[in-house]
Amino acid sequence: MKDFYKLIQLKSISVFFASLLGIMFISTSAFATNNVYLFTPYTTISVPPGKSINYIITVVNNTSEVQNLGVSISGMPWGWKYNMKSGGWDIKKIAVLPKQKEIINLHVEVPLKINKGTYHFNVVAGANHLPLSVIVSKRGTYKTTFTATQANMEGHNNSTFSFNANLDNLTADQQLYSLRSEAPLGWDVTFMSHYKNVTSVSVDPNNDAPITVKVTPPDGITAGTYKIPVSAVTNNTSADLQLEVVITGTYDMVLSTPTGLVSTEITAGKQRRLELIVRNTGSAILYDVQPGYQAPANWKVTFDPKSISEIQPGQYAKIFATIKSDKNAIAGDYITKITTKTPEVASSVSFRVSVQTPLLWGWVGVLIILFAFGLVYYLFRKYGRR
Amino acid sequence: MGSMKFTTGILKEETNMSNITNQAPVRTSKFSLPNIFRNSRNEEIPLHPFRVIVEKEISDQVRSWRFIILIAIIVLTTLGSLYTSLNSLSEAIKVSHVNNSFLFLKLFTVSNGTLPSFFVFITFLGPLLGIGMGFDAINSEHNRGTMSHILAQPIHRDYLLNAKFIAALTVITFMFFALGFLVMGLGLISIGIPPTPEEFWRIIFFIILSIVYVAFWLNLSILFSVKFRQPATSALTVIAIWLFFTVFYPIIVNLISKSVIPGQMATSYQMYFAEELKVNLMRIVPNQLFSDATTTLLVPTVRSLGPLTMQQVYGTIPGALPLGQSLLLVWPQVTALIAGTILCFVISYVMFMRREIRSR
Repeated sequence: MKDFYKLIQLKSISVFFASLLGIMFISTSAFATNNVYLFTPYTTISVPPGKSINYIITVVNNTSEVQNLGVSISGMPWGWKYNMKSGGWDIKKIAVLPKQKEIINLHVEVPLKINKGTYHFNVVAGANHLPLSVIVSKRGTYKTTFTATQANMEGHNNSTFSFNANLDNLTADQQLYSLRSEAPLGWDVTFMSHYKNVTSVSVDPNNDAPITVKVTPPDGITAGTYKIPVSAVTNNTSADLQLEVVITGTYDMVLSTPTGLVSTEITAGKQRRLELIVRNTGSAILYDVQPGYQAPANWKVTFDPKSISEIQPGQYAKIFATIKSDKNAIAGDYITKITTKTPEVASSVSFRVSVQTPLLWGWVGVLIILFAFGLVYYLFRKYGRR
Repeated sequence: MGSMKFTTGILKEETNMSNITNQAPVRTSKFSLPNIFRNSRNEEIPLHPFRVIVEKEISDQVRSWRFIILIAIIVLTTLGSLYTSLNSLSEAIKVSHVNNSFLFLKLFTVSNGTLPSFFVFITFLGPLLGIGMGFDAINSEHNRGTMSHILAQPIHRDYLLNAKFIAALTVITFMFFALGFLVMGLGLISIGIPPTPEEFWRIIFFIILSIVYVAFWLNLSILFSVKFRQPATSALTVIAIWLFFTVFYPIIVNLISKSVIPGQMATSYQMYFAEELKVNLMRIVPNQLFSDATTTLLVPTVRSLGPLTMQQVYGTIPGALPLGQSLLLVWPQVTALIAGTILCFVISYVMFMRREIRSR
């Protein structure tokens, strides 16, 4: 009984050894004889997560017979996607003519959600193995990024700022992003994708979409730096982008009247008081606004107050101008130009001043005529009725 | 002949007048003498004979050949000037883009050079009309011996002189309004654009001004008809004055101003004063006053009548004056014309009242 057992044991060991010998023989014959082998130049590649790798694998047949080999991948890590093509076809087996070679394209996608490390797999063609290694250079992320190449822009208060941003979907699913901005009140932020205004954008996994963010500042904004936070949000991922707009100071001023009426009447030699409004339409504070005038000869314009120390952007100041006309001005229309200026900017308004001649001489004429009629009346009394 | 008609007209009215006028002396005797004048004004009854004289005078004027010839000349020249102004109106519109708003007034001012415009005709013929109507007002009555007949009637003596003036003025007023509206009406038919209210009032004031102007010459000729016994003398004197003012006086003023202007080396101030002297000297002439005033009224863009300094011109915008300002601008001229008219009347009145009138 014991002998029998021993025999079986011996037999199994010998079978084991025999099979082991056989394997060794086959593999050594594969390398040693170089009848059929696989070749690719880049056997170890270092990539970031989410990249895809294209291997070009050459199958060489050194034998004098046609080799029809089944090709497959073994040991591919879990979650990695791959396909194998040759001549544009997905292949399972490949036949190679004697003393010829064929090319297989292997496309491997490294997933995004992956740990750092070295991953191995084998390409198997018949009895031939080609071990390949992929080193994942960093830990993979599973998120969205929203970036702008130039997140800071400078301009005037009346210019529009266009930021070129890029929305990267680094997740495994297609995402529909809603685009939002938390700009301060009065700012106008619009998103453009493919030259169209959009409020949401759909991005395929591991893909990106170029987004143009247009920022229009409100009217009458003061000079300064403004932060415009924008974000792309879905229900499970989101990305923020902080844009920065620097408004440079512009100096602009408009001089007008409260009603917009720029004509007035004046009696020659008399004066008229006009209310003027100086409006700061720029984005910087105007300091030391000085009024001036350009009037016909011997006309005088005085201002109350004589100057304005400062006007805030978007604000206005009142100024009273008193026009005094020349005593010898002739009846009809004259032009009087009133100017306000600061060291930076000037504004002017032209008044059409209708001069009226004083009624004094008219009354003198009436008196002369009345005197003449009085004389007639006196003569009637003296001579007429006797 | 006319004066004879006049006296018969007065005598015909005698029957109903005698009742009225007989009462007047009775009543006046109740009051003290200075109150007579007031009394006669308060009671309208004594005015009645005055109206009778005026109406008689008007009918005499209108029926006289002299007046018919004068009015024929004036109507013909008016139509002629209207024709030329209508012909040249389209060119005038093209030339002046700024003043297109006062198209209707151009009927009175525009001319193509073949015939003077309407207001130039009035300047020229108006004095002739006034002189023609007044130069024999009083002295012809004297010469025909009808004066004492009229004054023998129970009327105040100055009624005669006043009535002569009022009658002629009434005729002139009606005539000028008729002429003015004739031009307006024919112009309206031919150009088809109605005048604006301002244009209409400018034309009305122009007509009134023309009446005042003719009234001045009328009074001047009445003055000389009182002064000179012979109608020919008075007519020649007034025409001499008119010719002097229209022809010779401008020549004299030119001579004076040329001697005053010191030549090309003159400063601008000297030039200004010489020009002002010339303008002021010309302003003695009634023709000049009238043409100044009409130009201002009919051309609204005229802003000043004298020479202007650069100081006054600097900063002006070309534009039309409102009517009130135009009137104020010509008011001195109008005052001078009215005052001259009244002055002539006063002198002739005093002369007439102080004269002793005897029957021949």
